[in-house]
Amino acid sequence: MIAQAIRNHPRAVIPYVTAGLPDLDSTGRILSALKDAGAAAIEIGIPFSDPMADGPVLQKASHLALQAGFRMDDLFGRLGQWSAKIDIPLIVMSYINPLMRRGLHDTLARLKDGGVKGVIIPDLPVEAKGIHADCAAVGIDLIRLVAPTTVPERTREILAQCGGFVYAVAVKGVTGQRASLPEGLQGQVAFLKANTELPVCVGFGVSKASQVDELLGFADGVIVGSYLMDEVMKASDPAAAAGRALRILVNGVPRSGQG
Amino acid sequence: MKGLFGDFGGQYVPETLLPALEELDAAMEEAFAEKAFWDEFSSYMVHYVGRPTPLTHAKRLSAHYGCDVWLKREDLNHTGSHKINNAIGQILLASRMGKRRIIAETGAGQHGVATATVCALFGLECHVYMGTVDIARQRMNVERMRLLGAEVVPVEGGTATLKDATSEAIRDWIANVDTTYYLIGSAIGPHPYPTMVREFQAVIGREAKQQIVELSGSLPDAVIACVGGGSNAIGIFSAFLDEAQVELIGVEAYGRGNGQHGASISFGTPGVLHGTRSYLLQDKDGQVLDTHSIAAGLDYPGVGPEHSFLAASRRARYGLVTDDQALTGFRLLNRLEGIAPALESAHAIGYLEQYSREKHGSKVVVNLSGRGDKDLHTVIGD
Ligand SMILES: Cc1ncc(COP(=O)(O)O)c(C=O)c1O
Repeated sequence: MIAQAIRNHPRAVIPYVTAGLPDLDSTGRILSALKDAGAAAIEIGIPFSDPMADGPVLQKASHLALQAGFRMDDLFGRLGQWSAKIDIPLIVMSYINPLMRRGLHDTLARLKDGGVKGVIIPDLPVEAKGIHADCAAVGIDLIRLVAPTTVPERTREILAQCGGFVYAVAVKGVTGQRASLPEGLQGQVAFLKANTELPVCVGFGVSKASQVDELLGFADGVIVGSYLMDEVMKASDPAAAAGRALRILVNGVPRSGQG
Repeated sequence: MKGLFGDFGGQYVPETLLPALEELDAAMEEAFAEKAFWDEFSSYMVHYVGRPTPLTHAKRLSAHYGCDVWLKREDLNHTGSHKINNAIGQILLASRMGKRRIIAETGAGQHGVATATVCALFGLECHVYMGTVDIARQRMNVERMRLLGAEVVPVEGGTATLKDATSEAIRDWIANVDTTYYLIGSAIGPHPYPTMVREFQAVIGREAKQQIVELSGSLPDAVIACVGGGSNAIGIFSAFLDEAQVELIGVEAYGRGNGQHGASISFGTPGVLHGTRSYLLQDKDGQVLDTHSIAAGLDYPGVGPEHSFLAASRRARYGLVTDDQALTGFRLLNRLEGIAPALESAHAIGYLEQYSREKHGSKVVVNLSGRGDKDLHTVIGD
């Protein structure tokens, strides 16, 4: 379902939204706006007190959402409504601790009940076979990250326990916008594509329409988080701002002369 | 999974870091197997750090409590705490690995000073992450680090204390993983750190065991140490783990009580923070809770995974000491023995009040993990 949604989209952009910022009503409106703007799928980020793989923007988003009173039960209460209304795959991204706190299996099952199609965990244990099996048992895709530092042998092991799409981490570093993307990226994506049937999407560091254009030249999809959340946090109407920002990325940079 | 202590420990890290952890693990295994590595470590311990540290018979304190109290004097180490043992060990490892950029986190500043010191000694670049709250309450150590040539990087995120400094150090490592060695300051973090730090701090336990037998004729009834991340405690415990008759007692910071403390084992539940699974102070959603201790080095919501294992398996037990009890311990040790302990170590002293009521007349070794100069302004209340 996730893989298909990405493959069927001519320009698959996957936005990341921190849940509960400034509140869950707003998150619902942001999701609708992103869907209307042409998102291929959406990542809903569960805020965490100690987001060690995130740069300043997503740290701030997490912090503000928690300060605003984000609770897991409230999120579980909303997921069903959101997924009923929004006909693109919803994916949850969360550090492992909030998912494990009340039992990983039960939490995954609640996500599944809420219509969530996949889960991304940036701090999986090194041996994630058991978690992959849990996800399979529940019927949810475990989307795995592959880093620029990941060696081929480890990459193959990850790909064997991966569903939905492969998340190619573009940069050595935390999330956040970068002026330019590293040179080896195209080769990294090519290697992944040669070793998997799944779509390969690139994330971390993407912030401009021109980068999205460049990446869609060789990857199946692009994930955009910090850039979008920066716009959302600055805006008085977060949903409108999110929709506007995503539309620019999905539509691409207009060719000169064509407006 | 590697680096497990029962159900605790492991490696829960962003994929980017995994090759670095594997490289570190391999380098550690190789070094630990070489006599030459340990000879070099010992040479620095003797000629630079000033080891062995004494085991002082605290006679007036013993009379006060009605217990036979012996102090393992880590306060007399160069730079003033046990943290230097680990810093020397890891800098030797970093050098073997050819890393020239060193990063560290610090709470009380003792580990930051120890790291800045070994970087000066080895001529390496040093960046120390420190929460702005801790920068304010440990000014002297901040200035010491700067004099030693380190950059002190203020961390404002989260609660601006040790846990946030640790997260920021990990973020730096993710971004600079090829060139950088992360010199972690306690027995926390993903494998191989908890094992590595224990092995470097084990020198405390080896010496203490030999000294107590030589000086008093037998093993102690108990060994007591404060627990922040747990490095001084695991260091001294390690030599006594197989001596079932020796009670091992870790002392956690009970702060102001009432939810404002740093007592992860006493009040936490298993969770994952900074790459390891261990007891963690967290809410029912798995969000990490704010902590408080008058001792910056104990102001951490997690604890080394081996302590969680020792607690769960009941080989060690973990007691509580409040800010006020630690301050009482601080004052008492000054008055009765002429020693100003670090506020962290003052928690271990403060525990003697409870311990001596339970176990009157017992013989105990207390790990005096550091000296109190850095804490004078806190105690005086300026
Ligand atoms: C003197 C002293 N003792 C104890 C600690 C706590 O750390 P650990 O539990 O790793 O020994 C610190 C930490 O800064 C310290 O400076």
